[in-house]
Amino acid sequence: MKKRWLPRAVAGSVVLALGLTLAACGGGSSSSSGSGSFTVLVYGDASNKVEKQIVDTFNKTSKVKAKLQTIPGADYQTKLQTLINTKQAPDVFFNWGGGSIAPFVKAGLLLPLDDMIAKDPGLKSNFLPSVFNGAVVDGKSYGIPMRGTQPVMLFNNKKVLADNGLTAPKTWDDLLNAVKVLKAKHVTPIALGGGDQWPTLMWYEYMYDRIAGPGLFEKAMGGDKSAWDSADSRAALAKLKELIDAGAFGTNYDSVKYTDGGSVALVAQSKAAFELMGSWYYSQQQQDNPDFAKSGLGYSSFPTVDGGKGDPTDIVGNTNNYYSVLKKTKYADAIAQFLKLQYSDEFVKAHMAIGNLPTTTSTVNFLGTAAIPDYAKFQFELVKAAPSFQLSWDQAYPQTASEAMHTAVQQFFDGKLDADGFIKAMQALPTS
Amino acid sequence: MTTSAEPRVERRRSVRRSGAAVARPGFAWAAPATLFFLLFAVVPLILVAVLSFTNWDGLSSPQYAGLDNWKALIHDHVMIQSLWLSVLITVLGVVVQTPLSILLGVWAAGKQRNRAILSAIYFIPLLLSATAISILWRALLDPNFGVPSQAKWLFGDGNLFGHQTSAIGVLVFVGAWQYTPFHTLIYQGATRAIPPVLYQAAEIDGAGTIRQFFSITLPQLRTTMITSMILMVVGGLTTFDTVLILTQGGPGTDTTISAYYMYEQAFKSFDFGGGSAIALVLVIIATIISLIVVKVSGYDKMRSSTEGL
Repeated sequence: MKKRWLPRAVAGSVVLALGLTLAACGGGSSSSSGSGSFTVLVYGDASNKVEKQIVDTFNKTSKVKAKLQTIPGADYQTKLQTLINTKQAPDVFFNWGGGSIAPFVKAGLLLPLDDMIAKDPGLKSNFLPSVFNGAVVDGKSYGIPMRGTQPVMLFNNKKVLADNGLTAPKTWDDLLNAVKVLKAKHVTPIALGGGDQWPTLMWYEYMYDRIAGPGLFEKAMGGDKSAWDSADSRAALAKLKELIDAGAFGTNYDSVKYTDGGSVALVAQSKAAFELMGSWYYSQQQQDNPDFAKSGLGYSSFPTVDGGKGDPTDIVGNTNNYYSVLKKTKYADAIAQFLKLQYSDEFVKAHMAIGNLPTTTSTVNFLGTAAIPDYAKFQFELVKAAPSFQLSWDQAYPQTASEAMHTAVQQFFDGKLDADGFIKAMQALPTS
Repeated sequence: MTTSAEPRVERRRSVRRSGAAVARPGFAWAAPATLFFLLFAVVPLILVAVLSFTNWDGLSSPQYAGLDNWKALIHDHVMIQSLWLSVLITVLGVVVQTPLSILLGVWAAGKQRNRAILSAIYFIPLLLSATAISILWRALLDPNFGVPSQAKWLFGDGNLFGHQTSAIGVLVFVGAWQYTPFHTLIYQGATRAIPPVLYQAAEIDGAGTIRQFFSITLPQLRTTMITSMILMVVGGLTTFDTVLILTQGGPGTDTTISAYYMYEQAFKSFDFGGGSAIALVLVIIATIISLIVVKVSGYDKMRSSTEGL
């Protein structure tokens, strides 16, 4: 009987050892030596190479090391919110400011950066004030701008336009005309990653702004749901419908995605003429199709709409991205040093080189060093001149609203919802 | 083996004898499994039940909400639709996969040339993760750069993910592509276990291959069919990864099945209370279905099909 204990003991210890290993995996990266390290979590896309470069620069001189983690685009917000109140939470993380960090502030998870700014006023004074204020919640600063400002623009394939005798559309009628011409030539007029849903939303954001001005959305966000049922709202929807019915987006846009490169390739390979996308589109094309990005990619601001109340120079998009810091981090001092790099010349130049437009006050000095100086200047002027910069609706609304909003946006494009149905769906969204 | 040293054989025998002395396995044998079941199934289930009566965004502490989540669920047309979609996808899965896997399984049980190689190739999808398979098919079915762009006569404009019928079709097809090999394997094993005497007797009686298939193979596979179908039903009701990657419940909410809707509520809208309520509904429905299946099929008092041989 005595011998039977041996295999059991072995089996038992194996199980125990396995369990411990697993537990160790979950334990994460508590500091092993005196110097330690903090994690920086960013949205995974083509801009990551700049973040990597900045982290490397920081690690060259700092004793406390920064570790970069990325989460692929579509899942970023989901994963962030799931892990931010756990042990695995990052010390510093990428966000869109405003509505995207408000719940974290409310839950008391974020570190107000005002003390850091008091020690180094440069953390505030080196950024454009309107942008810096995008991450101020209840009078306290919770984010330092990183990456660049991301206005949404109408990109085009220059060759396709030239071949069909077209130019970048200045007015809504130009756009409708281009759609007609291109459709006759069997080119998809406008590439749309409808499968992702948020690219479709951009068309609403611009249409509502051009027709009604930024006030309508502000009113709706403020809780006055009748705004969605106003004459302007219906007019904007009617215009959108006109464009969809004209065949501007082809018929299979719901099976196309931006995030897997589908719509990007359509434009690069001259199968589509236009795509409405944020300014990061340039760096995406540069990564996927470098030759096309260099010579074939055109861009313009969203066309003006006759009779609309909105200022034709208004823009929509992401005001900026920000780094926010978790309250429980042990490395606040080192992080303050890390954040300083977000206004360094190296940072500005590196972003310029991949087509992003940082919002430091020094940006204007480097416009000439950009990958495509004209593109940088165009964006800079666009942002500078815009009386209103509408934050993407799905970022402005609380996260709880975004699924229902995306569904409604897609269903109206598909014809599954009519204007009444869309209005009802938007009115049902929670605003706080 | 038996030629090896005598003492070892002796010892093995003694071990077996002392094992037999324990008679019926006691509770101690079930303890590890019971412990894991409690820890990873019962405890989370209780937590989910509690959460379904709260409002929780995953950040602050949960707030008691009474029956709010449940009331909302009853009036939620997406939830009701999602249940029907789950059932539809499950039924379609069973209807498509069962005949395919029976035919393939019976074929694979034979002794034809190249059978082993072909079977081995055919089992490959089984080894891939559902996520990898979904990403693969998503790329293959891209309307502009995938198969549909080359076969317009079949796919039209290729808007497979833009209509409810075609999106469900894709889900069922990818599910079948992935799981048919597994069920084929089950049927192959079961077919090989059919006593050859039966076929020999049938041959003497003059029954051809087709008659043999319907009169011997199929009846002999009855219990296997039930096993396989239960697995298909369970798999169909818990379909998630294919939906997440292929359609994301779209277009609109046209392929939002219950398991995906639960995920969407909890992890995309951060309404963990509402998500938990959906999860509980799923648990209850799955339990009822499995009880029905067990009753109807006689799975609980199933007898051997080779009885009397």
